[in-house]
Amino acid sequence: MATTTLEPQADTYRRSWVLDWLTTVDHKKIGILYIVNSFIFFFAAGILALVIRSELMVPGLQFVDIETYNQAFTMHGTIMIFLFVVPVLTGFGNYIVPLQLGAPDMAFPRINALSFWLLPLGGGLIFSGYLFGGAAAEGWTAYAPLTSERFAPGVGTDLWIIGLTLVGTASILGAVNFIATIFKMRAPGMTLFRMPIFVWTVLVTATLILLATPVLAAGLIALFIDRNYGGSFFDPSVGGNPVLWQHIFWFFGHPEVYIVVLPAMGVVSEIIPVFSRKPLFGYKAFVFATIAIGLLSFTVWAHHMFTTGQVLLPFFAFMTTLIAVPTGVKMFNWLATMWRAKITLATPMLFALGFVSMFLIGGISGVMLAQPPIDFHLQDTYFVVAHLHYVFFGGSVFGVFAAAYYWFPKMTGRMLNEPLGKVHFWLHFIGFNLTFFPMHQLGLSGMPRRIADYSPDAGWTILNLMSTVGAFMIAISVLPFLVNVIASLINGQPAGDDPWEANTLEWATSSPPPPYNFDRLPPIHSERPLFFLTHGHGHAPAAGREHDVIEEPEDDPERRGGLA
Amino acid sequence: MSARAAAVDSHDVHVTARESAMPTALLGMLLFIASEVMFFGGLFATYFNARASAAGEWGPPAGAHGLDIVLAGVLTVVLVTSSFTMQFGVWAIRRGDIGKLRLWTALTLILGVAFVLGQLYDYSVLGFGIADGVFGTTFYTLTGFHGAHVFGGTVGLTILLARAMRGQFSARNHVAVEAISIYWHFVDVVWIAVFSTIYLLR
Amino acid sequence: MPTTGARSRARSIVRAGGLLLFLMLLGGCLLPPDPKTDAGQDVFNLYILVLALAALVFVGVEGFIVYAIVRYRREPGDDALPEQHHGNTKVEILWTAIPSVIVLVLFVMSVITLGSVEARADRPGVTIEVVAKQWTWDFRYPDGVEVTGSSGRPTELPLPVGEPVRLVIISEDVNHAFFVPEFLIKRDAIDMGENAAPNEIEFTVTEAGTYAGQCAEFCGVGHADMIFVVNAMPRADYDAHMAALAAGATPPPAPGEGDCPTTIQVAAVESIRFDTDSIEAPAGEDFCIELTNNDAVEHDIGIDEIGFDGENVAPGESITYLIPAMEAGDYTFYCTIHPREMVGELKVTE
Repeated sequence: MATTTLEPQADTYRRSWVLDWLTTVDHKKIGILYIVNSFIFFFAAGILALVIRSELMVPGLQFVDIETYNQAFTMHGTIMIFLFVVPVLTGFGNYIVPLQLGAPDMAFPRINALSFWLLPLGGGLIFSGYLFGGAAAEGWTAYAPLTSERFAPGVGTDLWIIGLTLVGTASILGAVNFIATIFKMRAPGMTLFRMPIFVWTVLVTATLILLATPVLAAGLIALFIDRNYGGSFFDPSVGGNPVLWQHIFWFFGHPEVYIVVLPAMGVVSEIIPVFSRKPLFGYKAFVFATIAIGLLSFTVWAHHMFTTGQVLLPFFAFMTTLIAVPTGVKMFNWLATMWRAKITLATPMLFALGFVSMFLIGGISGVMLAQPPIDFHLQDTYFVVAHLHYVFFGGSVFGVFAAAYYWFPKMTGRMLNEPLGKVHFWLHFIGFNLTFFPMHQLGLSGMPRRIADYSPDAGWTILNLMSTVGAFMIAISVLPFLVNVIASLINGQPAGDDPWEANTLEWATSSPPPPYNFDRLPPIHSERPLFFLTHGHGHAPAAGREHDVIEEPEDDPERRGGLA
Repeated sequence: MSARAAAVDSHDVHVTARESAMPTALLGMLLFIASEVMFFGGLFATYFNARASAAGEWGPPAGAHGLDIVLAGVLTVVLVTSSFTMQFGVWAIRRGDIGKLRLWTALTLILGVAFVLGQLYDYSVLGFGIADGVFGTTFYTLTGFHGAHVFGGTVGLTILLARAMRGQFSARNHVAVEAISIYWHFVDVVWIAVFSTIYLLR
Repeated sequence: MPTTGARSRARSIVRAGGLLLFLMLLGGCLLPPDPKTDAGQDVFNLYILVLALAALVFVGVEGFIVYAIVRYRREPGDDALPEQHHGNTKVEILWTAIPSVIVLVLFVMSVITLGSVEARADRPGVTIEVVAKQWTWDFRYPDGVEVTGSSGRPTELPLPVGEPVRLVIISEDVNHAFFVPEFLIKRDAIDMGENAAPNEIEFTVTEAGTYAGQCAEFCGVGHADMIFVVNAMPRADYDAHMAALAAGATPPPAPGEGDCPTTIQVAAVESIRFDTDSIEAPAGEDFCIELTNNDAVEHDIGIDEIGFDGENVAPGESITYLIPAMEAGDYTFYCTIHPREMVGELKVTE
C-alpha cells in the first residue's frame, strides 16, 4: 500500500530540528538516537582496541605504560558491551518492534526517551575517569578485591560504578517498555505466535534484562559501599568474601551475554527467510529454543568461576553444555531455511550468514570451555578472548551490521550502495578472522589475558602480529560503511516501501514511516502478513504489487505449518 | 472490499486491550516490581552469604546496642497497617468514593512517613555503623535500601494525594492509584522478608 | 548483484575454500602444549575428543552454508517462489535429540576427566605452599625453606618428577591464579579469609625439565611480570637442590668495618628512578654499593648474573651492600621491586 505521508504543514507544528530531536518521544527518532550514540561509543571503544593491539603487536612496551593499557582494556570491554552492543540492538528494537507489531509507538514513550538519555550520561561518567586521575582499570569484570579502595584508589572506578548503574537503570526501564509494548500493543490478529521472530527475541531479551540487571545494580552498590563507606561485602580481612562479587557479577553477566546475542539472532532470523524467499524453518521450535536459552542462561553463571575452586563443577558444566542444544536447534533452523531456497547474497544476507558462520565457531569454543578440565587450562587465556569475540563480534556485531543494511532503507527511505556494502563485508570478515582466530592458538599455548606485554621467548609474537594486522583491517573496513551511510543519506537510490520483498509489517508502510506509523494495516493471519499480501497463497507475486486486501482462507495448510 | 477487511482500519490499531484486561500502566508497574524483587534478591544474597560464612557469632558487633526487635515489631505493625489503609483507598475509588480515597491515602502517607522516621531513629540508637564488619554492612544496606524504597513510595503517595485532592480520579479512571498501591504492598512484603531475616531468623 | 550463474558459483567456491584454508593456517595446530603431568594427559585427551567433534560440526555446518549459497542461488529473473517449508516435526525432534545425547556423553567424559584432575593421593611426595602476591610468587617448602622472587624475575619452583605434588594456593592480596601451560592446569589464588580453606591442586610431573608459569588472573599493573618457572627433576636431584637452598638461604652479609676498598654511591630518587644508569667497579676484588633511598617507596639492588639480591631499604634510609669479587665484563644492576623502571649498567673493569 503506497502511503502518502501526511507532512504537517502548519507552522505551529514546526520546532527547531535540534529541539525536536532532544525532546522527542517518538520511538523511531529515539531508535535512531540509540543507534547513532552507540556507534559513537563503538568507535571510541574501537580505538581503545587498536591501542591494545598496537601494544601487543610485538614484545616490549612501545606505546603506552601499563596503567594506560589496563584502563584501555577495561574501558574497551565496558563500552563495547554496555554502550555499544546492547544499546544499538535496543535502538533497532525501538525502531522496529512497534512497526512489526503494527503499533503506533512504544507503551511508555516518555520513559523510552529517559532510557535513551541516561546512556550518554552514564557513558560520559564512565569515560570521565580519564579526566580525574585515570579511568577504571580493573577489567570490565571488576573483580574484588582488586576494585577495593585499597588496590584501586582513585575516583575512576567510582565513576565507572555510578555510570554503569545509570546505564543499567536505563536498560531496565527499556525492558519494562518492550515487554509492556509486546504484550499490550499488538495489532488485531497478531497472536503471540504470529509475531515476527525479532520481536520474540526482543521479548526474551527484555525479560533477561529485567531480571538480571538489577542483580548487577545490587553488586555495584555493594562495591561502592565497600569502597566509600567502609563496607565489608567483599573484603576478606573483615569477614567479607571476594568470591561473592564473582557470583553476583556473573549471575548478571551470563544472562547479559544472551542479552547481547539474542536480538542479533532475531535480526538474522528476519533476514535469512527474506533473502531465501522461504519462511523461517521451525518458527515455533525457534521460539521455544529462545525461551529455553533465556531460562537456562540463569543456571550457568559459575562456568566463569570454574578455577575459583568454590563452585559445584558438575552442575554448572552440565547446564552450560546443555545450552548448546537449543542453540543448535536455531542453527539448524537457519540452515534448513536455506535448504532448497532461492538465495540472494545482498549485503544484509552476507552479514547474516557471517553471523551464522562466525557464531558457530564461538559456540564451538564455548562448548570446549564448558568442560571444567579443559577450562582449567584455557580460563583467563586468549582462548577465552577468542571465544568471546567470536560470539560478541562474529555474532552480535555482524548482526548489528546486518540490521543496519537491512533496515537503513526503511529508516531513511534510501538504499545503501551494494558494492560498497560488499567491500565493507569482506574487509570486515577477513579482518575479523585474522584478528581473532590466532587467539585460539595463543590461548592454547598459554598466553594469559590482560597482559600488556609478553616475553619474546614465549613464541607468541607472530600470532600477535597477525592479530594486530587484522585489527587494523577491521578499523579500515569501517570506512566504506561510513562513506556509504553518508553518501546514501545524501543521494541514495529511493527505497520505496518494501525494497527487499519482505514478510513483516514494518515493510507495509512508507520508508521512512509517517510519525503515526500506519495508515492501514493488512490483515494478520500468520507470522508473514506482508508475504501473503504480496504473494497470495505462495504463488507468483501479483503484478503491480497492489496492496489490496487478500484474504487467506482459514484452512490454508501453509499457514498451519508443516510440509505443504 | 470485504467485511473483514473493512474492520481492519487505522483507528482499530490502538484497541488491543479489552475493557477487563490489565491496564498497560499497571503491567508496567508489575514488571518494574519484578526487577525490584531481583534487586532485593541480590542484596539478600549478600546477607545470607555473609551469614553462612560467618565464623562465630552472627550479629551486631560486640559492645553495640544490639537489635531492637520491639521497635522493629512496631515498625512492622505500622507498615502492615499502611498496606491495609492503602487497599481501603483502592477499594474506595473503585466504588467512585474519592473522599474516602483522600482519607485513606493521607493515612497511608502518614504511616509511611512514620516508618521512615522510626527507621532513622533506630539507626541513631543502634551503636554500630555500616563500616562495622559484615553484619553492619549487610544490615544497613538491606534496611537502608528498603527504607529508601519506602521513601520513594511516600513521594508517590504524596502525588496521589495531591491528584486526589484535585479530583483527578474516578471509578473508571484511577490507574495511578492501583499502580502505587501495588508498589506499596510490594514494599510491605519486602519489609516482612527483611524483618523475618534480620530479626527473627538472625 | 548476482553475476551470471556458473562463474559466480565458481568464484563463491574458491572464495569459501580459500577462506577455510586461511582460517586453518591462522589457527596453528589448535593444540595445547604436550602435557607434562599425568592429569594433563587426560585433559589433553578430552580436548582431542572435543576438537574432533568440533571439526565435524564445523565442516558440516560451514560446508552446508557454502553449499547452500552456491547450489540454491537465485538466478536473475527467476521470480518463482521456492517450496515454502515451514518445518518438519520428525527432523526437528531428531536434531534436538541427537545433540542432547552428544551433550550427555560429553558431560560424562568431562566428569571422568575431572576425577583424574582432582584426584588426591593419600600422601603426596611434597606439599608446597604457593603464595601469590602483587607481583611475584613465594614458594614455601617443608622445613622452612622458602623460594622467593621479584616482579619480572621468575621464582623457581623445584619439583620432584614422578611423585604427586600438592600445592596449597594462597593469596596475600588480590586474586591471582597459578598457571603452568605445560601442565594444562590452573587454579585461582584467592584470599578467602575465614570463608573457606585455600585452594589445593595435585599433580604428578612426568618429565624432567623447566616449565614456564605465569599469573593468570588480572591483578594490577604487574600482572604480566608475575612469573615463575617450574624446575622438575628426579627425586634425588630434587633433594640435593632443596638441601642446597636450605643451606644458602641466608641473606648476603652486611659489610663490616674496612670491608669496602671501593664504595660506589647510588641513590634512588623520585619517582622510582636511580640517579645514575651506569656505574663502574673494579674487577677481581670485593666492592661495595651504598644505596641511599631519597624516594617515597622501598628499593633495593640486585645483580642477576651473580645471583645477588640485596635487602630492601626504606625511604630516607641508606644501606651498604658488599658485592663479592666479579670478573671483568658488562652486567646489569636493577631494583628487584621495580625491575622495569630502575635498571642500569654495571661495568666491571680491570
